[in-house]
Amino acid sequence: MESTQQTESKIIELKPFTDEMVVNMGPQHPSTHGVLRLELRLDGEIVREAIPHIGYLHRCFEKHSENLSYPQIIPFTDRMDYVAAMNQNWGFCLAVEKLLEMDETKDFAVPERAEYLRVLICELNRIASHLLSFGTYGMDIGAFTPFLYAFRDRERLLLLFEKICGARLTYNYIRIGGVSEIIPMEPGSIDEQNYLDEIESFLDYFEPKIDEYNDLLTSNSIFSERTMGVAVMPAEMAISYGATGPNLRGSGVDWDLRRDEPYSIYDRFDFDVPVAKDIPELGAVLGDCWSRYKVRMDEMKESVKIVRQILAEGLPDGPVMADLKAVRPPKGEIYYRSEAPRGELGFYIVSDGTPKPVRVKGRSPCFSALSALQELSRGLMVADIIAIIGSIDIVMGEVDR
Amino acid sequence: MDRYIRNIYKGVYTVLVGMRITIRQFFEPNVTHQYPYEHDFEKKRNVREIPKGYRGQLYNRIEDCIGCKKCELICPVDCITITGDKLPKGEQLWDSMNVIHLKDGREIIGLIEGEDKKLNLDEEMTVTNITSRQGPQEVVDRLEQSGDESRTQTISGSEVSRVVTRNPVVFYLDQFDIDMSLCMYCGLCTEVCPTECLTMIDTLEGIEYSKFDRTDLIFNFDKQEMYGKDEAETEEAAD
Repeated sequence: MESTQQTESKIIELKPFTDEMVVNMGPQHPSTHGVLRLELRLDGEIVREAIPHIGYLHRCFEKHSENLSYPQIIPFTDRMDYVAAMNQNWGFCLAVEKLLEMDETKDFAVPERAEYLRVLICELNRIASHLLSFGTYGMDIGAFTPFLYAFRDRERLLLLFEKICGARLTYNYIRIGGVSEIIPMEPGSIDEQNYLDEIESFLDYFEPKIDEYNDLLTSNSIFSERTMGVAVMPAEMAISYGATGPNLRGSGVDWDLRRDEPYSIYDRFDFDVPVAKDIPELGAVLGDCWSRYKVRMDEMKESVKIVRQILAEGLPDGPVMADLKAVRPPKGEIYYRSEAPRGELGFYIVSDGTPKPVRVKGRSPCFSALSALQELSRGLMVADIIAIIGSIDIVMGEVDR
Repeated sequence: MDRYIRNIYKGVYTVLVGMRITIRQFFEPNVTHQYPYEHDFEKKRNVREIPKGYRGQLYNRIEDCIGCKKCELICPVDCITITGDKLPKGEQLWDSMNVIHLKDGREIIGLIEGEDKKLNLDEEMTVTNITSRQGPQEVVDRLEQSGDESRTQTISGSEVSRVVTRNPVVFYLDQFDIDMSLCMYCGLCTEVCPTECLTMIDTLEGIEYSKFDRTDLIFNFDKQEMYGKDEAETEEAAD
């Protein structure tokens, strides 16, 4: 009650200056990354309040899941964050696998080869996701060229995914207990060698390109004027809103689940976690739009590093699927989180011992990041709203689920 | 004033840095192609191939289908509808046989010799009783077209792509419909199929099949003539 009274008094206070205008931005707006509607309360060009209205892409993922068996839910997780669908598959499978491990009568472990394939493919997917984020952010701000370059390179990644799982966007590749065998790849075969060589040639091509992108967009003075010092999110605010992933690291919090709470086999790889810093000589402030964007650019390099380590080691022999006849987890509940490209992706599953879950809840990193928008945008210009939405990198499929 | 000029210099300089990257692209081959007009998926260097195993349109080879309804069960969006009936007791439509799919696309129907039913694709296999009497008419026609007249043939394992063992059918399908407008291309149904008769077409035809009418996207795979029914009879039943 107190807060409403405060805002009301504020409005009355401001009223003598100018009339408030309400502008609807979206849902069909190219810069809202999907179908986000923003209700902008404007005072001239100053944003007094930007209220996000969500739900235009709601497809009942959680309710659907209650009527489907566990393997059937995986294609639905593809449709959550469709830009990084491999990571969404993995997040769900990790949760179900943890639930299966709770059953002590059955011996269950994900094969080594499957773990390596998962890390390999998910890190490539992270690059693809950050490339899209980088390209569309440039386009939002007004630079069209980086978008084309990003999609050119993303296309090569999509071809790699297509070869291993048969689809370009909704992969359904990572399964409970391993990875899909829909396109068989025998250990040590010529197919595997060709595939790994192809990834290697992509990395050789892609690594210098990141510097090129930095020349093209990151250091561009028009771009940095639009993003540096805009919408500063301090570390406390990022934590209190539950912002995770690059948004949190952009505020200077050194936190990455892959390193701090390693799941799967991430503890075997050597990689850095890029964290944003104050760069006074450039004009970048810790926690501004540019810092969040820069963390993503640096993360691509780290992903390349992880993939290179896998290529140097080679994929281990063995099966890619655990010996799992039916997915029937024991009675219980689990919350398990993993580091998706947009932040911490969590799945909460309640099982009653039947092949179908009683409840599935997805914790979406984009939803948490979007909730900070209202506070971030207060007092900024309309044009800065575009810069904020691009920098928190939301995918509406995941916000609405 | 000094800052103003420095800003202009900085702006122009950083744009030129970007321009240098763009200029380089002038001397490189095109990345894009004119998609609906350029269909040559293999000849052009910059045009991609559709990889093997791509998840395209669903296709059911009904001759091999045993009507187990596993695909109908696993489908998350219920796009497959199967109805069927059991044959009267004692009747059967054909004896058990092997359908041997060769790598060149031919199919041979017969019985593989040997007591061991386990198939070893590395060795030669002798197929006896290659028949045009048994089996669905469709397959028989295809067999005759391929010019295979001998009843016994030895096939080296390297030629064979896969072998399907068909047991006598006691269950026949009245309806096998797939609504491709509902399909989410997850490929779960093709994985559970025990006879590998339900596949996803991984060629251009499996990707470009758009229709003007939504009802045209419901594909019927059942073939009543396969069960030896007359066409007139089928038509009567349809009326």
